[in-house]
Amino acid sequence: MHIDQFTDAILNCRFCFMCRHLSGIGNVTFTEADTPRVRASMIYGVTQGTMQLDNEDFIATLYRNDLSGACRRNCVKHFDEIGLTLAARADIVEAGHAPAAVQAIAKELAATAKWTAKGEGDVLYFEDLYTKEAATVAAAFAKIMKKAKVSYITVTGGCIGKGLKTLGYLKEAQDAAKKFAAFVKKTGAKTVVVSNPAAYDALVNDYPAMGVKFPAKVMHTSEYILSLKLKYKKAGDVYYLESDFLRNYNDLPFPHDLLKALGAVNKPFGTNDEESYSCGEGAVVLPKIDATLVEKLAAYIAERADNPKTDKIVTASPYTKLMLKKYTKLNVVTLEELAASLL
Amino acid sequence: MLVSPKSYMYEMIRSELTDIVGDEYVCNCDADAFGHSIDYYWIPEMWHDRGMETPKPDFIVHPATTQEVSKIVKLANHYKIPVIPWGGGSGSQGGALPVYGGIIVDMKRMNKLIKIDKESLTVTCQTGIIAKHLEWRCNKEGFSTMHLPASISCATIGGFLAHRGTGVLSTKYGKIEDMVMSLEVVTPTGEIIRTLPVPRHASGPDLTMLFMGSEGTLGIITEVTLKIHPQPEAREFRAYIFKDFHTAMSAGAELMRSRLQPCAVRLYDETETITHVRKVFGMELDKGAYLVFGFDGRKDIVACQMKYAREIMEDKYKGKDLGSKGGDLWWENKYKFFYPGFMFHLPQAFGTLDTVATFDKIENVYWGMKKVVTENFPQARFIGHFSHWYEWGCMLYARFIFEGEDVPKDPREATALYNKVWNLAIRAAIDNGGVINEHHGVGLKLGHLMKDLYGPAMPVLEGIKKQLDPNNIMNPGKLGFEGA
Repeated sequence: MHIDQFTDAILNCRFCFMCRHLSGIGNVTFTEADTPRVRASMIYGVTQGTMQLDNEDFIATLYRNDLSGACRRNCVKHFDEIGLTLAARADIVEAGHAPAAVQAIAKELAATAKWTAKGEGDVLYFEDLYTKEAATVAAAFAKIMKKAKVSYITVTGGCIGKGLKTLGYLKEAQDAAKKFAAFVKKTGAKTVVVSNPAAYDALVNDYPAMGVKFPAKVMHTSEYILSLKLKYKKAGDVYYLESDFLRNYNDLPFPHDLLKALGAVNKPFGTNDEESYSCGEGAVVLPKIDATLVEKLAAYIAERADNPKTDKIVTASPYTKLMLKKYTKLNVVTLEELAASLL
Repeated sequence: MLVSPKSYMYEMIRSELTDIVGDEYVCNCDADAFGHSIDYYWIPEMWHDRGMETPKPDFIVHPATTQEVSKIVKLANHYKIPVIPWGGGSGSQGGALPVYGGIIVDMKRMNKLIKIDKESLTVTCQTGIIAKHLEWRCNKEGFSTMHLPASISCATIGGFLAHRGTGVLSTKYGKIEDMVMSLEVVTPTGEIIRTLPVPRHASGPDLTMLFMGSEGTLGIITEVTLKIHPQPEAREFRAYIFKDFHTAMSAGAELMRSRLQPCAVRLYDETETITHVRKVFGMELDKGAYLVFGFDGRKDIVACQMKYAREIMEDKYKGKDLGSKGGDLWWENKYKFFYPGFMFHLPQAFGTLDTVATFDKIENVYWGMKKVVTENFPQARFIGHFSHWYEWGCMLYARFIFEGEDVPKDPREATALYNKVWNLAIRAAIDNGGVINEHHGVGLKLGHLMKDLYGPAMPVLEGIKKQLDPNNIMNPGKLGFEGA
């Protein structure tokens, strides 16, 4: 079973409470089950036969996980409770126990794994589904590229494997990844730039783990925009919401470096810098699994704003922007949009 | 379990509960019931580790208001169903386990901060708030509760109140009971009462203290007003190695008698200095006993306090100075001790024999416990540190650890061994003038030893319980009170 690769996490997380304050879903559902402790403990039960892999409550709990990585980051030994959940999901899928709703999402995602390209150049900008939905993000990137006088290819399309992998569909994820890598190779691009942190994590971490060779250098837009060394007006006070993938999964310094380059004074959002304020970015397709959870996560974030009507909130994640825009009245822009507005 | 889930009566009760808190907040699903069947107590952990079923609640409810809690308790009285309050579930004594089934009242939805009073320096909140979340909220306003235990990230404020919790700065700021101004409580019959608004008065016995440490047996604490403090201008630590534990204890006791008011003092015996402190700090330490202490407040006053404390440590007791770095390492790593990889965990069998005594008795308590553990269980390791110091004495955080093959595979045999150690060690502590517990509480684990501790006073406690809870629905079988 896939969970057997995470024995360390099972044995060390199953009775540990140290990160429960960072359990994003647990903090909005108030349930014990929505903590790394109980998830790991139940998975231990699966290995002992006291919890069944086809138990509906067990499966529902695992698919509710927001996968923010805040708990793993907090852990002194960084036990991989995220990897453990993903492994359990893969076991559930392979055993044929995926809920009908999850199966439908996976089928829908797999069908989106196709892309179109326009433009030319060495740089390829990938506009994934969330980036496309938040249409102003790609437009902001275009404005920056125009100012920098860089021609580039825009690739628009669907799942490159991340959503499928997150749901536990490993084979389908690998197929999508191979297809995307082949598509990019055909474009001849040397550098791929992505706005969506989930896409960044997929290309940088998931692809090598799946044995898929990617033909280009991968950069998050924050790193790429920094490299252009453009001049900006001063951004002033902002509240930057960390991305799960960029901070907790990859510890990437570039969003903060870019904010600095934009002359932004980054004020601390909420009460701490440990919790995830991403609306479930790590779970990639949480809105399709349970939109009410995303709504609760968004409300949790809105409650923590100093001045919800006036604060300028910045995120690296088009997903987070979309969800906060949908469920709250917060004033949210992405890093690309902030940079473009200061040109 | 008092009503079979297959019975329509079960659904009748569920309907009444959903009528009180709403459909979304009544649950009996497998995952959440399982989550409430194990806390931080070794026995249920071991039980689960061995592939055994752990006792589950019949219902889990998440009230949002005191009125809802009151209605739940009244309903439980009507049907005579056990009610078990649950905060973070991180107690180490089995105090929140649903050993007779019943209704778990999970308090985490009652997480509202009601008011920060900047004039009186108090905070009022519902008790289901996770302590770290409350501390963060206070920090944002420039204050601190100064209640900073290792369980701050997982326990609720209500859990601390119910078990008389203690944080790392207890020496200056006190235990949780010293921090409380007043409480709102739902009594076992469902009445909502408030204790007096200030903790210092001459208006009869102190009702607030009746509920502190009652572990959910005398009611459910739903709201609290706590003292808060401005963040100090300075907080400095210093550490020393002494040639042996006795010398270090003498130095620590003298520091307390000097009334210099340290915010924290901690002393590790020779064994724990080697096995634990060195491991966590990643620092080479000489043989001996490690003592750390600190002061906080105005910078100039802290400097003055530290100067006199150093004189005690260095001039009189000849401690080897590890400097402020040796002390800062402890402060920076104070919670690291409790993370996996540093904390004991299964397959080890381990227990924290938390006890407290006056300075004239505390060393005898230590040696008395160590003697019975090591003589009766030569395969066990015994280590200890002294972690909460007061003007009159301190707390001993002694631990026993069994490794590998010394821990029976059979869960019943493992339980029997475990309880034998506890019984012998705790009775040795009581015989030497110690008190069962300083901050973990009694729960299921130590309930049977309450009669040893209280002697003829135990019927007084039992009488209070019977008077307040005539149907014995509130957390039965805990704190030495009768089961369901």
